[in-house]
Amino acid sequence: MNHSDDLLHIADCPDCRQRFTENILPFDAARRREGAREFLATAFAMDRERGAADTVARHLRETPVEQWPRLAETQALRNNAALEQMSEEGRKRLERNPIEALAIANLATSIAELLPANAYPAIVIGQIRATALRDRANALRFLGRLDEAYDSIATAEARLEPFPGAAHDRAIVWLVKAMILGQMDLFDDAERMITAASSVFGEVNDSARFLQAGVVHGNLLGRQERYEDAQQVFRDLLSVANLSRDVETQARLHNNLGYCATSLEDYAGANFHFAQSIAKFTDLGFAAEVARTERGAGLVLIGKGQFDLGMARLQEARRAFARIHMTEEAGLCALRLIETMVERGNTDDARSLSSTVIEEFTRASLDTRAIDAVIRLRASLDADGATAETVRTVHAIVQSLAMDEAAAS
Amino acid sequence: MDTIAAELFNPRIVDLTPIPRNHDIDEVEFGQLYEDNLSLLVAIAVRKFQVPEVDAEALAHEVFFSYLKRKNEIRDLHPWLIGAICHACRYFWRQNGRRTEQLDQALAMLRPDPATAGILDSLPAQLAAREALESLPPRYQKVLRMRYYEGYSIKEIADHLGVTAKYTQKLVARCLRKAEQTFNTTPSRKKP
Repeated sequence: MNHSDDLLHIADCPDCRQRFTENILPFDAARRREGAREFLATAFAMDRERGAADTVARHLRETPVEQWPRLAETQALRNNAALEQMSEEGRKRLERNPIEALAIANLATSIAELLPANAYPAIVIGQIRATALRDRANALRFLGRLDEAYDSIATAEARLEPFPGAAHDRAIVWLVKAMILGQMDLFDDAERMITAASSVFGEVNDSARFLQAGVVHGNLLGRQERYEDAQQVFRDLLSVANLSRDVETQARLHNNLGYCATSLEDYAGANFHFAQSIAKFTDLGFAAEVARTERGAGLVLIGKGQFDLGMARLQEARRAFARIHMTEEAGLCALRLIETMVERGNTDDARSLSSTVIEEFTRASLDTRAIDAVIRLRASLDADGATAETVRTVHAIVQSLAMDEAAAS
Repeated sequence: MDTIAAELFNPRIVDLTPIPRNHDIDEVEFGQLYEDNLSLLVAIAVRKFQVPEVDAEALAHEVFFSYLKRKNEIRDLHPWLIGAICHACRYFWRQNGRRTEQLDQALAMLRPDPATAGILDSLPAQLAAREALESLPPRYQKVLRMRYYEGYSIKEIADHLGVTAKYTQKLVARCLRKAEQTFNTTPSRKKP
């Protein structure tokens, strides 16, 4: 058998681990026993806490949102397991209701910062506080409050600073920090941060976050219009996603590769990647993602002057949204189609499609203001007075009403 | 198009916490996990990163606590532990480097470092010794390194190798003889 001191090999080979370890002289036995005792005590305490019932969801459900800050005084919530549950509750709300996600992260931060120093070993306290602050930063990022998000993530980083052993936590903080910096258009800093995070994720074999970090990196390059670099990053990630059989990430990567190919005017390549993305989302049963991908592909292709390809994709997106009863989204696709038809002088088809949208919106009992906006658009089309700008205005009205409704629900 | 570009290049990366994998580890397993891996982590810190032993132990201990917080999402324990200790060691040296105070140049000139005093005279001999050592079989190298580089006593080396002190004394002498022979037979160093 070939022995090796290579760490990648040691990670997989029990014999070499044994051999490598034997080559070091034994150290202070008493200190080692004390370390083991402390480790076991902490392990059991944390596992016991995790074994308790899911109290956080109940407290959040039974307390009005405006009174959530007062939950910081609840004894049952002042432990690591409850804070882990809060992190999960916030994560579930992040996209749907970022205001609530922020309220939960604020609560978690208050509790974490007030934990007594002897509640857990110092590094665990650091990890707990950094997690709460990181969730807070992420919620603020979703709300576009970037300066506050940056302050929060910088504090999270500072909480971990004294602990070399908290590599994984630190890298997750860097991932969020890179996203915030990217949104602030500080691309160089964001790239430095994401490269450092990726390296740790690779080292600790966290393939899910390695892929996330890679996607963030590719997106940063795309936003700087460095499409060839972005394409390379996405291609490399695709091979990782294929190896780890992560179909959802494969689908998202194909979507991004499709966008890169379109920007590089490789329309055959773009079509291939968009089709791959749609096929994989279809396999996963992510019907809304299928429709969104079709819509994104259609808009990009039309933007690049590939009208026939783009309109075919938008038609498909419209049908996909209709199949899952997302009438507003289907209508928004139709308005994009009408815009293109008007731009190309195809007013008859535009008029006919606007009538269909009015029927669909009415049948689905959508907001009357949205229906009225489309009725006015059809009147303009009937009078041959509608421009692409008019259609874009109607699209903006319908979209904002849809967003208001989503926020209110 | 700018809005569309921004939309596509901002995918919804929300899930910062992978699906937990609940490992119900009982008391024996926790103890075993610590016992089995602490020495490995310390060995990596000491041998691969030259971290002093006491600090290496503290780093390994920190890595274990860090594991407790993240254990539900770790798929493969050994790659995680090894990756974490490697990163911890690099971070340790970065922190340690920052804490090092700069020497007063004037004072340094007045009190030269004994390890580097006359280094120009001793360097050729040191290089030759290293060259000779590296040409020996691994076991001989190990014995000589422990004795002359790391400063272990004959008794300590004997304990480590699981042999008697007397045999170790002979072994060291044999290793030295072999080193001398190798050194003298190297073509560039053959005596005229």
